[in-house]
Amino acid sequence: MSNEPTGAQLVISTLKALGVETLFGYPGGAIMPIYDALAGSGLQHILVRHEQGAAFAADAYARATGRVGVCMATSGPGATNLITGIANAYMDSVPLVCITGQVSTHLMGTDGFQEVDILGICLPIVKHSWLVRDPADIPRILAEAFAIASEGRAGPVLVDIPKDVAAAKVGASSMATFPTWTPPAPDADAIREAEKLIAAAKKPLFYAGGGVEMAGASPAFLDLVKRTGIPVVTTLKGIGVVPTTEDLCLGMLGMHGTRAGNTAVQEADLLIALGARFDDRATGKLNAFAPNAKIIHADIDPAEINKLRKADVAIVGNLKTTIESLNPKVEGIQKWVEKCKADKWEHRFRYNAPGAGVYAPGLLKLLSEKAGDKFIAACDVGQHQMWVAQHCEFANCRAHLTSGGSGAMGYGLPAGVGAKLAKPDHHVVTISGDGSFMMNIQEMATLNRYNIPLKIVLLDNSSLGLVRQWQELFYQENYSEIDLSDNPDFVQVAKAFGIDAFRITHRHEVEGAVDRLLAAEGPTLLHVLIDPRENVWPLVPPGASNAEMMEERWDEPLDSY
Amino acid sequence: MSHLIHIELDRLEGSLLRVLGLIERRGFHIDEIELYDLGEDKRGLSVTMRPRDTSRSPDQLGLQIDRLYGITRLSADPRVGAGADTQAKQGIRA
Repeated sequence: MSNEPTGAQLVISTLKALGVETLFGYPGGAIMPIYDALAGSGLQHILVRHEQGAAFAADAYARATGRVGVCMATSGPGATNLITGIANAYMDSVPLVCITGQVSTHLMGTDGFQEVDILGICLPIVKHSWLVRDPADIPRILAEAFAIASEGRAGPVLVDIPKDVAAAKVGASSMATFPTWTPPAPDADAIREAEKLIAAAKKPLFYAGGGVEMAGASPAFLDLVKRTGIPVVTTLKGIGVVPTTEDLCLGMLGMHGTRAGNTAVQEADLLIALGARFDDRATGKLNAFAPNAKIIHADIDPAEINKLRKADVAIVGNLKTTIESLNPKVEGIQKWVEKCKADKWEHRFRYNAPGAGVYAPGLLKLLSEKAGDKFIAACDVGQHQMWVAQHCEFANCRAHLTSGGSGAMGYGLPAGVGAKLAKPDHHVVTISGDGSFMMNIQEMATLNRYNIPLKIVLLDNSSLGLVRQWQELFYQENYSEIDLSDNPDFVQVAKAFGIDAFRITHRHEVEGAVDRLLAAEGPTLLHVLIDPRENVWPLVPPGASNAEMMEERWDEPLDSY
Repeated sequence: MSHLIHIELDRLEGSLLRVLGLIERRGFHIDEIELYDLGEDKRGLSVTMRPRDTSRSPDQLGLQIDRLYGITRLSADPRVGAGADTQAKQGIRA
């Protein structure tokens, strides 16, 4: 009897059997049996300083590796602190397994201490969830949880385990089964129909989303692009599915997309959407989006087809197989391709901003170039996030970690923790703003505890820059609650956490600072003061067509940065 | 226009709330529900509903319900004018 495992021990042994090496979490009352079993188990548990940090770190670990991320929290406030991270993973289709402690079953439904119906709360933001009532079910449920999180269109799942279930001895436990699921093959007739549309098109354009990388199809996609010579625009999450330096890559589309990219979408006669979902930030005014284009839409999720834009040809199934199968005859598009490339050149970003202050887009471009193919950016949310998307070079999609669908401020620092642990040989850089950074600033303690050599670029405009920009442009300069000029001294704060930190204020300091940051051996923060009046350009106003881009230009010689 | 759908679902924790919540969140008023036992740990659920605006498609809703786990069958009742054809779960899980 005494050798029989507890439910909690089954949790740990099953996680190990499922291949988990690292997980992120924070203990508390209801999850204590599981933390008791965790000690000495050999699993690497990263103790964060807030449960939201655990969810974001696990999310970034998953994005950077393609594996399932795992996080744990206790019941009640521990569980609710995970919610923003779970929603974030849901919106960006990230495979995440969240394990929560729950009050004992006899207390459930009695408003017990630290009781919350986390399963009920999370129903809209998980692929699936379980409340474990029999400890013998733990291996089966965890195996299902990992399978569901990663199969098809990936996403987060929740496993809620009451304390008494975790503590109970298990007589006869069902050994874990590991259900495997093979994504359906695309319909051959649909592939042929798509090839016909591509062959007939004179202005075809790929519209590639994060689904391409999630299907493991980025190399196949690059091959398709090279075989066909068709230009590419990407979504925010699709950045890097082809290297951003690729000649045919026109950059990101949408609200802060490139002029060449948005213009190509508006002029295209065929849009080939691959693993993308016609999100409102990408399309702008939906009924004015790609007005001349027929649509081929390929996705693993049938519910995305026709959701927002009717597809002329729909291809549901394995996106990698779809991309590998497509072999269209492409003729007569040379003028179109040359026009796209000419637009790309004419509207390339300039880095010769007037003044002597730090020009953040220039700094970010330089940072990514100096970090090279080993660069991974873990972004926060705001102006700096859009500047990263616009100005950094990415060799692949898993190098650009960003809170896309959810837009969750506070993602960057814990995401950097997760990414650096997943990819220790890479230059992982958290790029944050002063608003976002304060939302999970406590995770600098995690950096210090484990001596994780994450680099941080903190672009500080002493305000909520993107909100300020919208108030300037669309709310008649009625600046409401965006002033953060009473921020703490971030260099001193970092040092108080045991993190090396330094500050720059002028453009001539940028190159030396980037070199120093990348060369630093330990976790290091670069605090960059930038002009609070700086905006992100181009910008498609809310509710407008992507053809209506606002832009600010200055008349100085090019490339003088 | 009113639509009637029939859903066969496994008797799992939260399954009923999961389906009904999804229908409301995706832009439909629920007018009537009927729940019945199908044995073997399954339940049948019939929902009569109306879209909140013309952009909400019952066909699309059907696909969104279908991707939930524990839904074993989904069909629309043509007598009530639902757009979706009767469909059995195809094994496509996303």
